[in-house]
Amino acid sequence: MKTVFVNPEKCIGCRHCEVACAIEHSQSKDLFKMFEEVPLSEPRIHVEVGVDFLTFPNRCRHCDPAPCMQVCPTNALERDEKTGSVIVNYNKCIGCTACAMACPFGIIQFKQVYQVKLAREVNAKCDNCIERQKAGKEPACVEACKTGALEFGDVNDLIRVSRKDFTVRMIKSQGTEVEVPKIPVNVQSFRDVMAQVAAIGPFRED
Amino acid sequence: MYIDPLVAQKEAEKRALDKTDQEIIEKAMHDGVETAWDRLAKQQPQCGFGQLGICCNRCTMGPCRIDPFGDGPKRGVCGATADLIVARNLLDDLAVGAAAHSDHGREVLEVLLDTAEGKSQGYQIIDEEKLGTIAAEYDIGTEGKSKEEIAREVALAMLEEFGTIKNRIQFADRAPEKTGEMWKGAGITPRSVDREIVESMHRIHMGVGADYANILLHGLRTSLSDGWGGSMMATDASDILFGTPTPNSSWVNLGVLSKDEVNVVLHGHNPVLSEMIVKAANDPELKKLAEEKGAKGINLVGMCCTGNELLMRHGIPIAGNMLDQELAIATGAVEVMVIDYQCIFPSITATASCYHTKVVATSEKSKVSGAIYKEFRPETALDSSKEIIRMAIENFPNRNPDRVKIPDKPIKMMAGFSEEAIRNALGGSYKPLIDAIVSGKIKGAVGVVGCNNPKIKHDYGHVMLGKELIKRNILVVETGCAAIASGKAGLLLPEAADMAGEGLKSVCKALGIPPVLHMGSCVDCSRILMLGANIAKELGVGIEDLPLGGAAPEWYSQKAVSIASYFVASGVYTVLGIPPKIFGSPNVVDLLTNKLDGVVHATFAVEPDPVKAADLLEAAIEKKRKALGI
Repeated sequence: MKTVFVNPEKCIGCRHCEVACAIEHSQSKDLFKMFEEVPLSEPRIHVEVGVDFLTFPNRCRHCDPAPCMQVCPTNALERDEKTGSVIVNYNKCIGCTACAMACPFGIIQFKQVYQVKLAREVNAKCDNCIERQKAGKEPACVEACKTGALEFGDVNDLIRVSRKDFTVRMIKSQGTEVEVPKIPVNVQSFRDVMAQVAAIGPFRED
Repeated sequence: MYIDPLVAQKEAEKRALDKTDQEIIEKAMHDGVETAWDRLAKQQPQCGFGQLGICCNRCTMGPCRIDPFGDGPKRGVCGATADLIVARNLLDDLAVGAAAHSDHGREVLEVLLDTAEGKSQGYQIIDEEKLGTIAAEYDIGTEGKSKEEIAREVALAMLEEFGTIKNRIQFADRAPEKTGEMWKGAGITPRSVDREIVESMHRIHMGVGADYANILLHGLRTSLSDGWGGSMMATDASDILFGTPTPNSSWVNLGVLSKDEVNVVLHGHNPVLSEMIVKAANDPELKKLAEEKGAKGINLVGMCCTGNELLMRHGIPIAGNMLDQELAIATGAVEVMVIDYQCIFPSITATASCYHTKVVATSEKSKVSGAIYKEFRPETALDSSKEIIRMAIENFPNRNPDRVKIPDKPIKMMAGFSEEAIRNALGGSYKPLIDAIVSGKIKGAVGVVGCNNPKIKHDYGHVMLGKELIKRNILVVETGCAAIASGKAGLLLPEAADMAGEGLKSVCKALGIPPVLHMGSCVDCSRILMLGANIAKELGVGIEDLPLGGAAPEWYSQKAVSIASYFVASGVYTVLGIPPKIFGSPNVVDLLTNKLDGVVHATFAVEPDPVKAADLLEAAIEKKRKALGI
C-alpha cells in the first residue's frame, strides 16, 4: 500500500506543502493565476505548531476502514481501490459535518470548491492527489517537501527505513553515554534555543 | 468579540512583564484591536528555512533552499551552499541595519549644515564645545570663525565621510591604537560609510563573493562604518544641534499619558523634527488654544528612540518601547502620534483607526498609508511642528472618555548619561571607575541594547538580564528599547543600587547614580563605543582587552545585527537572546561563536535565558580580567 509517510522531526514549518497543495487543487494549477480564481483554492494539508515552535504537517491518512466513510449518510465518501484513497464526491456531500466529527486527525474542512457550481461548502479534504498518482506522480505536498518530512512510497518500505535507522542508532549508541543524533547538531541546537525562547514567550505551555 | 477577562489577563501576563503594559494589552484585546502578538500567533508556524538562514530569494533562478537534514538539495541553482546562503543573508541584514543608522546620521548632518548656513528654522548650534572638539579632529581651524562657520565646515567634513575616497573614516581614529591595529590586521578598517554598504550589496550578488568567511569579514567592516561612522555622526551631530545629554530625571511607562491634556506621542528615531515640536508645544498661543478646547495643557511623550533622544536631552517622559506603540494608541488617549522612521509598525494607522488618534508621517522616506503627511523640511520645521500641535489640540474634543484607560502609575527614572556626562560624574577622568574595576568592586560593564521581540515576553529579557548582571557587580549601560524596559522596571533609579551586589552598590551610592545607566537611543550605542575607547586609552590597552560585554536580549531588527557586529568587531563579546538566521550553517555558527576570537578577540553567543546569558557574560568578563592580571 502506498502512502504519504510523515517524518515529523524533519518538518521545519516552511509550509511549502500547503502552497503546493493549494496550487494542485486550483483550476489553473498555476501559482500566479490561482489567486484570481473564485472560489480560492486552499490547502488541504496543515502545518501547525505544537509546542516549542515544533511543527507537524497534518493531512488525511486515508484510513481503511475510514471512520468518515462509515458515518457519511449520503455515501459521499468513496474509496478508490487502486490507490486506497478516500475521495469526496462533492455533489453528494450535504455538509452535515458528521465525517469531521468522526475523523481521528481533525483534518476535514468545509470549503467551496470549483467542481460544485452552487455556493455551498463541502468536505474539501485531501484527495491524495489521485490525478497525479494516476499519472505516475507523487502527491504535490511530497514533491514540494525539501527536507524529507513528507515521503511517498510503499508504507512498509518507508517504515523499514525508519526501523533500520533506529537499529543503527541503537547499536551505535550502545555502551556510550552519547546518543547518536538523528538530527544534525546545528538543527538540534537551533531547536534547543527556540525551546528556550518559547519558555519565556507568549507561546509558553502552562 | 467578547473575551473572558480572566483569559485576557492570563494572556497579557504571558505577553508582557510590566503591569501597566499588561493592563493595556487586556484593553486592546477587549477593544478587538490587533497587536503584534496577535500577528505573531497568526504567523505560526514560521518557515524553518528562513529562520535557519538557508532560504535564498535573491535572483529568479530561485528561490532556493538547502535541506538542513542533508538528504535534499545541498546547493542553490547557482551552486551556493548553506554556508554561502547564510553568510549572504546575514550580510544583507547587517547592511540594511548599517544603512538605517547611517542615513539617519546623514539627515541630522544636513540639518546641521542648513543651520550653519542660516537656512533652517528654529535650530541653533547648542554644544559649541563638542563642535570645537570635532573641528580639531578634522584639523579645521576655529580662530576668528563664528560657530556657524565652524559648524558649516564640520558638517561638510562629516557629510564627506559618506562617500569619501580617502579610504578612512575620521571617527574610527577615536578607537584606541591597539584596536585600530587589530582592524588593520584583519583588513576590516572601514573606508567610508556608503561604500561599505554599497559593497555589501555588490558582494551578495550572484557570482561575486562565494567564500562565506570573506563575506562575513566585510560584514564586520560594514558594521564598523556604522558604529564608528554613521551612528557616531548621528550622535555627535545631534549633540551639537540639541546639546550633549546630562543626567536628568523623568517618568516612564504608559502612565505618562495624560487624562486631561492633549497627548502627542513622538515615535521613531530621528529627533530633528521632534526637537522643534518640543519648542512648538511651548507656544503660548497653542497653549491657549488647548485650554479653549477643554484640555489642561499639551503633553508630549516619547516612544522608542525619538523618545530616548528627547528624554536624554530634555527629560521628556517616555511612554514606552517598540511593543508599546500600539498599546499607547489603545489607551484611547492619544490625539496625535508623530512618526519619523524606523520600527514604526506599518499597521500603526490601522491601530489608530480604532480610536480618534491621528498618525502624522513626517519623513519622505517613511510614508504610511492612512497617515496624514506633513513633510519635515529644516527650513519650515517650526511651522510644521506648530501645525502638528494644532492638529492634536483640535483632535482633543474627539477623544471618547468612555474608551480611555490610562495606567495611573508612571515610574520615575534617570537618563542623560552620555559618555561625557559619565566622565564628568567621575570627575573628568575614568580613573575612579578603573580603580573600582581593578579592585573588583565592579567586575566590568555590559552594554544591554536592542529591541523588543514579541517572541519573548515584552521586556523580560532586558530586565531579567540587567538585574542578574548588577547582582554580580557588573555595571550595565543601556540604549534603545532595553533602556526603556529597565526604566519601566525601576532599574534606572539610584535606589536600584540596592538590587546590585555590594561592590557595585557602594560605587553607585557614592556617585548617586543608578546601577543601570541610560545612554540614549540606538544610534547612541556609539556612546558605549566611546566609553570603551576612552577607558581603554586611559589604560593604554585596546577595547578588546577590557572586561566588557554586550547583549541584545530581545532584538528583532537588522540594525541590531549591525550593532552586535560592531560591538564584536570592536572586541566586545556579545550575547544574543534571539537566534540570528545562521543555524543552517554549522560553519558560520562556528566562525561567529568561536573562530572570530582569533580575529577580533571577541565572539557572538546565543542564549535566550537571561540567567544563563549572565553566566556567559560574567565568564567572558572574568577571562578578560585574568588576561589583564586583575
